[in-house]
Amino acid sequence: MMLHRTTLVAVAFLLPALVAVAVLRLWPAAVAVSLSLDAPGVDGPSLENYRYIFGDPLFLKSLTVTAAYSLIVNPLQIAIALLLALLMNAAIPLIGLWRTLILLPVAIPQSVSAVVWGVGLRPDGPINGVLNTFGFETQRFLTSPDQALASIILIVSWIGVGYWMTFLLAGLQEIPKALYEAIRIDGANRWQAFRFVTLPQLRRTLTFVLVANTVANFLIFAPVQILTQGGPQGSTNLIMNEIYTRAFVSGDPSSAAAATVVLVILVLSVVILQFSLMRAPEDNLA
Amino acid sequence: MSRRILRTGVAVFCALAFLLPLWWVTISAIRPEASIFAHLSPPGRWTLWPREPTLVHVLELWQGPFARAIFNTVYITAVTVVAGLVISAMAGFALSVIRFRGREAVFVVMVISFLIPFDAIALPLFGIMRDLRLQNTYTGLILPGIGNGLAVFLFRQFFLGIPKDLREAAQIDGMGWFGIFWRIYLPLSRPAIISAGLILFVFQWQAYLWPLIIAPDPDYKVAAVAIAQFSDFYGVRYGLIFAAAFFISLIPMVVLTAFQRYFSTSVASSGGKG
Repeated sequence: MMLHRTTLVAVAFLLPALVAVAVLRLWPAAVAVSLSLDAPGVDGPSLENYRYIFGDPLFLKSLTVTAAYSLIVNPLQIAIALLLALLMNAAIPLIGLWRTLILLPVAIPQSVSAVVWGVGLRPDGPINGVLNTFGFETQRFLTSPDQALASIILIVSWIGVGYWMTFLLAGLQEIPKALYEAIRIDGANRWQAFRFVTLPQLRRTLTFVLVANTVANFLIFAPVQILTQGGPQGSTNLIMNEIYTRAFVSGDPSSAAAATVVLVILVLSVVILQFSLMRAPEDNLA
Repeated sequence: MSRRILRTGVAVFCALAFLLPLWWVTISAIRPEASIFAHLSPPGRWTLWPREPTLVHVLELWQGPFARAIFNTVYITAVTVVAGLVISAMAGFALSVIRFRGREAVFVVMVISFLIPFDAIALPLFGIMRDLRLQNTYTGLILPGIGNGLAVFLFRQFFLGIPKDLREAAQIDGMGWFGIFWRIYLPLSRPAIISAGLILFVFQWQAYLWPLIIAPDPDYKVAAVAIAQFSDFYGVRYGLIFAAAFFISLIPMVVLTAFQRYFSTSVASSGGKG
């Protein structure tokens, strides 16, 4: 009887969050699945929408662009974030100030970064001004099929790198100093200390950052929608923009739903991979 | 010693490189329109310092529709943080302090559901919210921000670290579950409240896709969307765009800098032990 009452109290405490989960995650996910199985002109559930998008060069191209973007942006951001974290994890005068300056852009919304860099990368903007001063030709950047994706990477990295640096810095500061003293007594140099103490100790943080960053980068939308609409020549058509275009520009909700399901499956696979990667080493340690 | 000087030099250089675009935004906001693209090639002393500082853009900006957009963002974010904190603290409390059958199962279901990123299911949710007639309403704008799995997780982890003796003593004194939550656990949870609050704040302040589709009406435009559609409101006016970029970024920068310590710890607890 007592137990029953406690359960009721627990349900009361949980109810708002459970409703939020149901309405904001499970219901829309279910809607996406059911919409994606409901193809125009086909009676009953079918995989026709999936067949359609996987036969559509536009969708396939957006998958390729998303893959290429992910393969560049994630290692790049994490490498820079790690270098900055190592740099900022030292006794330097005014270290708090330098850390704060790198963290500041994290507060800037993606749409603002997009608008600001959109102006900065114009042919008559400051970046080209600097290039011209050093004798380089004016670059097209966002209107060049070869440079637009790199420009998007710059726009998201300016505000993203400081965020991941914060994770890695926190991870670095949890490494016991004794480990470094021990390996130094064994005669190790700085590189060996990094290779055999820092990297293994940072493994869990690095794995988390890699996965969280990968997921975040799958969802990049504002800079693309604001600056390139996926162009030029589809070179920046990341999957979120492809889904948005299908739903709101082409007015094709069922193929947009199929593409949404593909994205959710992609993201969940990455996250599940994270869990298996983060669980495994602990078992080995024990 | 020279190594330390080199290291300091590189650190300062990197920090200033991250600051540079922000600095450019700030001085461009207080420059006359005509000189925003002047002094760029070759760069000179007036490239990074305003020659004739002026507040015309700032004043015009605040007299126009942007003031409404900033108000919307502040209002929506404030409600999101308060409602989100209440919801996630209550859930975290039930999932860590109250013992009931199926607790672990509820926790697992909640964690897995929240692993679906919001933006990925924003489009199907749009259909649902449209049918509920929540287009162009504050409710429609606020709702997605208040359910946050990471905030629930943070509270749960924090509450698990509070000694059980406190709760048992309160129960012996006849205090109910709500009293224990409100009078004992919450007052002890300042770090968790600030960390979770920051997560909720940043999510809602930066939101772009959702407000773009759920609130096309100018009265309900949020700042992050308004700046991308600036020419619809003000025409192409770069001084105004930079002034807007400055103010949209200023508020979260102040918040983030003030609570930087808590931001790092929230990050550490979710990253290190996640």
